[in-house]
Amino acid sequence: MGMQDISEASDAQLVTSIGRYSEVALAEVYRRHGGAVYGLARRVLNNSAEAEDVTQEVFLRLWNQPDRFDPSRGSLRSFLLAQSHARAVDAIRSLNARRAREMKDAVKVARGTYDMQHEVWDLSLADKVTRALEELPEDERRVIQLAYFEGYTYVKVAEILNQPEGTVKSRIRAGMRRMRNVLTEAGVQGVET
Amino acid sequence: MNHQQANELLAALSLDAVDEHERLEIEAHVNECPKCRSELDGFVDVAAALGNSVEPLPEGLWNSISSRIYDTDEAPLSPPLLAAGIVPLDVAAGRRRRRRFAARPLLATMGTVAAAIIVVLAISLANTSNHVSKLQRQLASGNYNVAAALSTPGHTIVDLESSSKRDLAQFVLLPDGRGYLVSSQLPALDSNHTYQLWGLINGTPISMGLMGSNPTKVAFTVSGAKPSVLGVTVEPSGGSPTPTNAMIASGTFAD
Repeated sequence: MGMQDISEASDAQLVTSIGRYSEVALAEVYRRHGGAVYGLARRVLNNSAEAEDVTQEVFLRLWNQPDRFDPSRGSLRSFLLAQSHARAVDAIRSLNARRAREMKDAVKVARGTYDMQHEVWDLSLADKVTRALEELPEDERRVIQLAYFEGYTYVKVAEILNQPEGTVKSRIRAGMRRMRNVLTEAGVQGVET
Repeated sequence: MNHQQANELLAALSLDAVDEHERLEIEAHVNECPKCRSELDGFVDVAAALGNSVEPLPEGLWNSISSRIYDTDEAPLSPPLLAAGIVPLDVAAGRRRRRRFAARPLLATMGTVAAAIIVVLAISLANTSNHVSKLQRQLASGNYNVAAALSTPGHTIVDLESSSKRDLAQFVLLPDGRGYLVSSQLPALDSNHTYQLWGLINGTPISMGLMGSNPTKVAFTVSGAKPSVLGVTVEPSGGSPTPTNAMIASGTFAD
C-alpha cells in the first residue's frame, strides 16, 4: 500500500495492513483516531501523562493484536475508544489517590455543577450528541456522566447519589437506550472519523 | 447470571461501570447470546459517541509508540540474555516475536535453567525487557518453577482472554507437559467457588485441575495429547467433572 493509498484506505483495510506489519498503516490509524483516544483518556484521568500512557497502550495493543478488532461489531473508532476508556478506568480505580478524588468529585457532582454538553467536543458529532443528551432526563444524564466520565461503577454511583442500585442500573439502561435511539434517528451509526 | 440479569447490565458494562465479577459473568453470557451481543455493540457505539472528544496529540507521543512497537515482550533481547540461551520461541501471542527474533541462541549449550536464572539475576536490566521483568517478578515472589519455565527453551505461553478480549490469565507450558500460571487478573471468588482450568482435547474439555478462589500459584501437567485450547470456568468449590458454566477466559495454543 503506497502513501497515497494509505490516506484513502478504510479503517478495516488499515487494520489488515497492520496485521501484515505495516507501520505506516499504524501511523495512519494514529493520525485518524489518536486524538480521540488521547482525549477520552485525558478526560477520564484528568492527567495528561497518564493519558499518554493509555494512548500508547491502546496503539501498541492494536499493533500486537490487530485481530482483536472485529469490524462486524462496530467501527474502529468505537473499538479504540472502548479500549481507551477501559484502560483509563482501570488506571483510575487502581490509583491510591482515588479516595481523595472520590470525595472531591462526589461533592462537586452533588452540588450540580455537571454540564455534560461541554464535555463532548468532537466537531462532527457534537451537535447530535448534545441534542441526544438534552433529551435525557437529568437523573439519567447524571448517572451516565458519573459512570462514564468519572469511572464509577453503578454501585458506587448509587452510593454517591444515595439511590438504590436498581434505580441507578435502570437509569443507565434507559438513558443509554434513549441516546441510542436519538443518535440512530440522527443517522449516527457508530462513531467514525 | 441469566439472560435478564445480564441484559439489564449491558448498558452499564458499555460504560465500564460494573465490577470485575459482573463483567466476567455478563461477558460469558454475551458470548453465547447473539441478541445481547448485538445490544451491547449498540451501547458501545453510544458510549464512543459520548467519549469522542478529540484533542490535539502531545508532541512526541507517536515517537514513543513507534519506538516501542519493536519492543517485546517487547524489547529486543540484550546480548547477555541471548548468550544465556534465553530466546522466546514461538508463542500464542507471538507475532511480534516472530518478527523480531530471528536471533539464535549464541551459546545454547550453556544454558541449564539454573544458569539462565542466575544470568538473569546478574544483569540489572531495568526496563530493557518485559520478559526479564516477568522473570524477575516470578523470582522475587518465590515462583521459581515459573521463572525456570519461562527460561526454558521451547516453552509456550498461552494468554487467556475474556470474550471482550481482556487479558485474564497467562500460562506457560513446557515441552514435557508441565504447566504453570504466570499471572492472573481473575478476581477473587467467594469461598464457595473455585476457578477450574480445562484443556480442550479433540473438542472435549478435560479438567487440568482446580485453581482455587484467588489463583496465584497453579501447576498442572498435560499428559498425552496436547490441548488446542486452555479455558477457565467458575465452578463450585471442589470442582466439577465437566464444565457447569461458560468459559470466562480462554486461549489457543500456537502450533
